[in-house]
Amino acid sequence: MTKSWPVASLAALAAGALMIPVAAFAANEAPMLAERVAAGDLPPVDERLPNNPEVVTPYEAVGAYGGTLRRVLGGSNDHNSILRVVSPQGLTRWKADFSGVIPNVAESWTTNETGSEFTFRLREGMRWSDGHPVTADDIMFYVEDLLHNEEFYPNAPARYVVGGEPMTAEKIDDYTVTLKFAAPYGTFLTELATPLAQEPVLWAKHYCSQFHPTYNPDVQAMVDATEAVEDWPGLFRLRCGEVEAPNRWANAERPTLDPWVVVGDGYDAGATQVVMERNPYFWQVDTDGNQLPYIDRLEMNVAQDNQAIVLEAIAGNIDMQRRRISGLANKPVFAENAESGGYEILDMINSNSNVMAIHFNHTHKDPVMRELLRNRDVRVALSLAIDREEIIDIVYQGQGEPWQIGPRPTHVLYNEQLGRQHTEYDPDRANELLDAAGYADRDGEGYRLLPDGRRLTFNVQYTGIEQPDWGDALEIIDEQWEEIGVDLNISSVERSIYYSRGEANEHDFMVWGAPGGLDPTLSPRDVLAVHPQASWFAIPWTRWYLSGGSDGEEPSETMVERLALYDAFKQEADQEKALDIFRQIHQIAADEFEIIGVSLAPNLVGVVNTNLRNVPRQIPASWMYPDPGPTLPQTYYFAN
Amino acid sequence: MIWRYIIKRIFWMVPFLFAVSVVAFLLIQAPPGDYLTTYIAKLGESNEVLDQASIDNLRQRFGLDQPLYVQYFKWVGRLLVGDFGMSFEWRQPVSDLLWSRMALTICLSFATLLFTWAVAFPIGVYSAVKKYSIGDYVATTIGFIGLATPNFLLALVLMYIGVVHFGTDVGGLFSNEYKNAPWSWGKFVDLMQHLWLPVIVLGTSATASLIRIMRANLLDELNKPYVDTARAKGLSEFWLIMKYPVRVALNPFISTIGWVLPNLVSGAVVTAIVLSLPTAGPLMLQALLAQDMYLAGAFVLLLSSLTVVGMLISDILLVLLDPRVKYD
Repeated sequence: MTKSWPVASLAALAAGALMIPVAAFAANEAPMLAERVAAGDLPPVDERLPNNPEVVTPYEAVGAYGGTLRRVLGGSNDHNSILRVVSPQGLTRWKADFSGVIPNVAESWTTNETGSEFTFRLREGMRWSDGHPVTADDIMFYVEDLLHNEEFYPNAPARYVVGGEPMTAEKIDDYTVTLKFAAPYGTFLTELATPLAQEPVLWAKHYCSQFHPTYNPDVQAMVDATEAVEDWPGLFRLRCGEVEAPNRWANAERPTLDPWVVVGDGYDAGATQVVMERNPYFWQVDTDGNQLPYIDRLEMNVAQDNQAIVLEAIAGNIDMQRRRISGLANKPVFAENAESGGYEILDMINSNSNVMAIHFNHTHKDPVMRELLRNRDVRVALSLAIDREEIIDIVYQGQGEPWQIGPRPTHVLYNEQLGRQHTEYDPDRANELLDAAGYADRDGEGYRLLPDGRRLTFNVQYTGIEQPDWGDALEIIDEQWEEIGVDLNISSVERSIYYSRGEANEHDFMVWGAPGGLDPTLSPRDVLAVHPQASWFAIPWTRWYLSGGSDGEEPSETMVERLALYDAFKQEADQEKALDIFRQIHQIAADEFEIIGVSLAPNLVGVVNTNLRNVPRQIPASWMYPDPGPTLPQTYYFAN
Repeated sequence: MIWRYIIKRIFWMVPFLFAVSVVAFLLIQAPPGDYLTTYIAKLGESNEVLDQASIDNLRQRFGLDQPLYVQYFKWVGRLLVGDFGMSFEWRQPVSDLLWSRMALTICLSFATLLFTWAVAFPIGVYSAVKKYSIGDYVATTIGFIGLATPNFLLALVLMYIGVVHFGTDVGGLFSNEYKNAPWSWGKFVDLMQHLWLPVIVLGTSATASLIRIMRANLLDELNKPYVDTARAKGLSEFWLIMKYPVRVALNPFISTIGWVLPNLVSGAVVTAIVLSLPTAGPLMLQALLAQDMYLAGAFVLLLSSLTVVGMLISDILLVLLDPRVKYD
């Protein structure tokens, strides 16, 4: 995988070429399902598959049925680990190389000329995991009975709102639905491939409507009979699940479209193990017509402590995982025990751009500090005074290279200036720049003085529990900045305090990993003030943008220009034009140089059983590409 | 008499628990932010954005937009009818979460308690009677090491040795094949095979301290005149020690019962996390960290009730076993 640039693409239609009509050959099924068919518990495989199932070309070879894939969940609240391996089954999904989207639950789609209406064609004969057909009514149920229901969504999720109007739907026939927006929405198809965008096909109407007052007038009686539930939306979510919550994996009855379905109690607080078994109605086959998945069961033990997961990995009790153990520090211990544990090290391409970005607060409440931080020469000086090689050697085991922010060098949107400018170590030049900028006066200890006589001191906090390495890096930066007379006060704080400080705009600068290395258009928060919790270089600007100008503070001229470009990007349906818009955004950000960074984020590590096949050797590690999901774990199989 | 005493104590528990509920609620609210702040922070770690509409929806759904006192009375009002509410984080009813963990928690705690007593009692008696013997020195040395070693460290070391040198599975209370299986003889045996490690890890420091307490108490008694009198009357040495001084020295054992019950929930959280034990401790810690108000609140209330009940039980037992203790 070299180039990745995720955006809605008309090229996705080309994926249709892969879909050979399966009727040409009879489908095969797993032995454990064949037994159930023979016993009369299950209809034959041809009746369970759609008329036109998706034919998936396995990464290496057609596999063999059977086996159990073992993973470990990190304590409570690791529901997204299940989501990642089961893979979010939305209308669209990422190509395995993260370079665009292709049809998933939908068989195909068409877009109107302006990019405001999307017509999805579903797979005829496709079934939920309980054997009930999937039809346009399921999508209509979501749009009309949930999205537009103010009791269920007092505010519609932003993903489905354009120009203040929530998405509407029109049923064309039993297998065709048009989703409509008030204005062009060029990124919609990409948006549907992101990990939390399955709502249109998450809730099976025939099952979930029993918790909806429109379909069940007696729903209040069910609410009263269920403990701790106050209203029907609460009951609905408890039984039918929601996108970002453990309850989605806690009801074995809930019909899904996933390759494996929960058996037993699933994922609740008492769970020590979550088991999932193959979905007999899964709607994908391989090139030989074998119904997927190959692997019979997923077995996910729950371990509270990350070190305990590392132990499980080196003991060979994990078949494929990088979640919670992906830190580079684990690589030596993994390598040491690889042979005895029967696994190989998995190379995960970090989708992040930088291990630690420094967000100077351009909207500082203190006017003196604000003037300082808004001075581009000051920022250049601070960047030049960091010896990045030293930090990489000491803190990051020599893995990485001096780097600012923006798309990684392999990415199609790579901007050299944004990524590499001012990364050289040049304290003399830094001193000159600061002297020239009007901060030449120093106190008795050699620290520079601000115009009002205070020492030039930055107070910075970091989340030491989650990211001890940032503390180490900051300590080194503290020493390096001493040479240019800049004082740094470092302290570790608890994560939610960190976020509250940021939201209250009380910081000099904040540090955090910079996303957007492989997903620059999906995570643009370092070049655009769009993330109210994480665009720390200018939180009031994000409020201004998100409130349409009524809240926060008006951004700088170039940021206003970039935000206008971003709006145009979201509407643009032509992918080349959309890319060009983003190139402009990156160029402006590079010229402005608002944020600096330390090192290109190094690759992450995981483990994979030596007998597990069809696992790509290099996988992007990202949230937006919820690895390993898009590499299709349903095609993994065990050799022997 | 004793019944009046018990009823009086139980009666006083009501206002006490009410006060506890207020304090618990305020304590959980004390850190800056609320559940949603931590939730947003957690999402932020995976570079995920929660849009303002969804945040508003959640805040409204969990009632976090209402003033504190409204939230409190809503919580307490539902507690009175036995409804612990819905966990924010798990989005599942709190009572389900709570009870799903309690059975094994209780089992583990009592196993640990029995282990502690079974080891500490004879060793404590021995090292008092044979003061400054080689056996006493050995017991004392091991006791101090046991006291000084953090439990979780011991757990990690034992786990590492288990994995690297013996290739055993570590952590948890069951082997994989029994994790979700219904109860059977095989599952019970499997539990016993896994239980010894956490029991030893959790029991070492308590054992060590009880040995020290037992030894010190018994030494105080052994030199008293009544011991000499009994010995002069020709009572066998074993019965002499067991019947009188040991019975007096036993008081600290009884008193510990009072701490055992709350320890069921909050004891050895770090060890439980390291060993992946499906007990209540890690769940409570996570609830507090996430400011999962209803779940954390239920735990704090449970903890306080158990403390009160445990203290009552140990007071009653003390009265029954030691005629010198009076209950008014």
